[in-house]
Amino acid sequence: MNLDYLWQGFGVALTAQNLLIGFIGCFIGTLVGALPAIGPINGIALLMPIAYTMGLPAESTMILLAAVYCGAEYGGRISSILLNVPGDAGAVMTAMDGYPMAKQGRAGEALALSGIASFVGGIIGVIGLAFFAPLLSGLAIGFGPAEYFVLMIFAFATLGSMVGSQPVKTLIGCTLGLMLATVGLDATSGAYRFTFNEPELGDGIEFVVLVIGLFSVSEAMIILEHQGRGMTVVRDLGRMTARMSDVVKSMGATLRGSLIGFVVGVLPGTGASVSSAVSYTTEKRISDREGTFGKGDVRGLASPEAANNATAAGAFVPMLTLGVPGSGTTAVMLGALMLYNIQPGPMLLVERPEVVGGLIASLFVGNFILLALNLPLVNIFARVLTVPNWLLVPGILVLSVIGVYSTHASVFSIFLMLGIGFAGWMLRKAGFDMAPIILGFVLGKVMEVNLRNALAISGGDPSILFESAISITLWVMALAVAVLPFLLSRRQKALLLKPTETVEDSHQ
Amino acid sequence: MSHMVENRRLGRIAALVLLGVAVAYGIGGATIEYAFSSDPLGPRAMPVMLAAVLAGLSFLYLAWPGSVEAIPTGPALVRILAIPTILVLSVMLFEPLGFAGSIFVLTFGVAMIFGAPVKYALLGAAGQTLLWWTVFAYVLQVYLPTGSLFG
Repeated sequence: MNLDYLWQGFGVALTAQNLLIGFIGCFIGTLVGALPAIGPINGIALLMPIAYTMGLPAESTMILLAAVYCGAEYGGRISSILLNVPGDAGAVMTAMDGYPMAKQGRAGEALALSGIASFVGGIIGVIGLAFFAPLLSGLAIGFGPAEYFVLMIFAFATLGSMVGSQPVKTLIGCTLGLMLATVGLDATSGAYRFTFNEPELGDGIEFVVLVIGLFSVSEAMIILEHQGRGMTVVRDLGRMTARMSDVVKSMGATLRGSLIGFVVGVLPGTGASVSSAVSYTTEKRISDREGTFGKGDVRGLASPEAANNATAAGAFVPMLTLGVPGSGTTAVMLGALMLYNIQPGPMLLVERPEVVGGLIASLFVGNFILLALNLPLVNIFARVLTVPNWLLVPGILVLSVIGVYSTHASVFSIFLMLGIGFAGWMLRKAGFDMAPIILGFVLGKVMEVNLRNALAISGGDPSILFESAISITLWVMALAVAVLPFLLSRRQKALLLKPTETVEDSHQ
Repeated sequence: MSHMVENRRLGRIAALVLLGVAVAYGIGGATIEYAFSSDPLGPRAMPVMLAAVLAGLSFLYLAWPGSVEAIPTGPALVRILAIPTILVLSVMLFEPLGFAGSIFVLTFGVAMIFGAPVKYALLGAAGQTLLWWTVFAYVLQVYLPTGSLFG
């Protein structure tokens, strides 16, 4: 296996400028993750246009955003443990045992132990990424337009079946994203689509406008709505180091969580929320013989925390090699690459090894920075939880406005962002997740171009979509991930109903 | 129980709105005007397909609306709507008052909406305006309008 790109990447990541950028990103990311109000997507969405406007090269921007992403995965545990309110979706399961530990006066231990688990998960994830990226990239070089189109279908099928409890809403979100991607000039025919004679929509809806509108503006409205719902910060942190016995006891759970997290992260369309839930339930099944999970068991804390950090690295595999994001956050990062006119896919490793290698190497270095930041400074990060909303939310909104204005210098874009933000709030009220919309949007143009190219090659014959072995495999996989969870849940329901039916039968 | 029924009703309304969006988008897509296309599908096919998919999914959503959070009413709704309103106002002031003036209005207004005492809201707004202006205009050298009223 050729790992030259990785050594080249370390050369990029270890320059003084990129080390500093990585450090700043890790610091900001941990703060962003610690705040229950803003998750990694919001942090990246707000920083992306600023990095672009500052004229940072693509590899430095990706290093910054990746550091924010990983930092947020570390930081998410702080509010989960101290507040019982997850900093991001991936930290939901961390609260299950982290918060009970904090209530027992072991908050400092829980923070230190979860910091170690995050580090192990992050490093295992990065090693997996470094080895799998070239392998998958090599496989994907054989993909033509038809295979790419089917790959997108597979990504949406995975998303629909694995994210959230309401697959119909997830798929509606994807479709809305795909629809938004059709706005603007159609390059093949020169036709303007859905621009309503507005010249500023000629190039389509700008990614920054959509992502900031959906995540930051609607988030401000949600925060206001939820304001006043009782949250109690655990202030007595207790001992600030992890006990060696706890580290040893939780090591198996950490390693298993890391592997599960990486594998789930590689699947297109899934994210840390899925991996941490899968790893927690798996660990509970394997280890919870005394019924201590949910009551402050260190294994219940370490497993999901390792998983969500491994997922962050795993999610880069499909994004960098196939151009299909592994999570909502990597969908936003894919959009950041597009700002630099870089199209992720199998050729990225060949054409821009410094971007891929630099990103992977910076993730490796970043995990060491994050461990160094998170063990001694966790007390300082915990204080960010006391920032009042009346100071925090105006700051988020100012960054949103500057982010959009600095990229486009257009008031129209800001109004569009507000409109999208309002629509996002309505959708969130109706129980829709925003990440599928972003995923649909970033894949929309590529999906349409590949479908049209495939049909142009076949002279309009749709059977080209089912011809190659790769396409057929992807169709089968898409069908399996779409149908299997449905069949399994039906089987589970049937098993649960069986004893009741027997009782009823006996009465008849 | 009545809360659940109400929420289901809201879910069904949302499904009908999405169905309306699908129909409007589909009609818009089917009537896109173009002179030529170098591929057999053309620019209309994708929008029409997506409209059909959204319509199908909307019917499924209509049948099983699932859980929907209730829309706030009364003063709670007014407070929430005040956020986009203050944002619109500050954006309208962007060019006449410049970045600093409009950001002051935005940060002060939002702080008040979040229940900050007037003194704290004023101090917070002044501090944030100064902070963000310094960071972006001087440190990061981002172009920000100074406002036509202030030359």
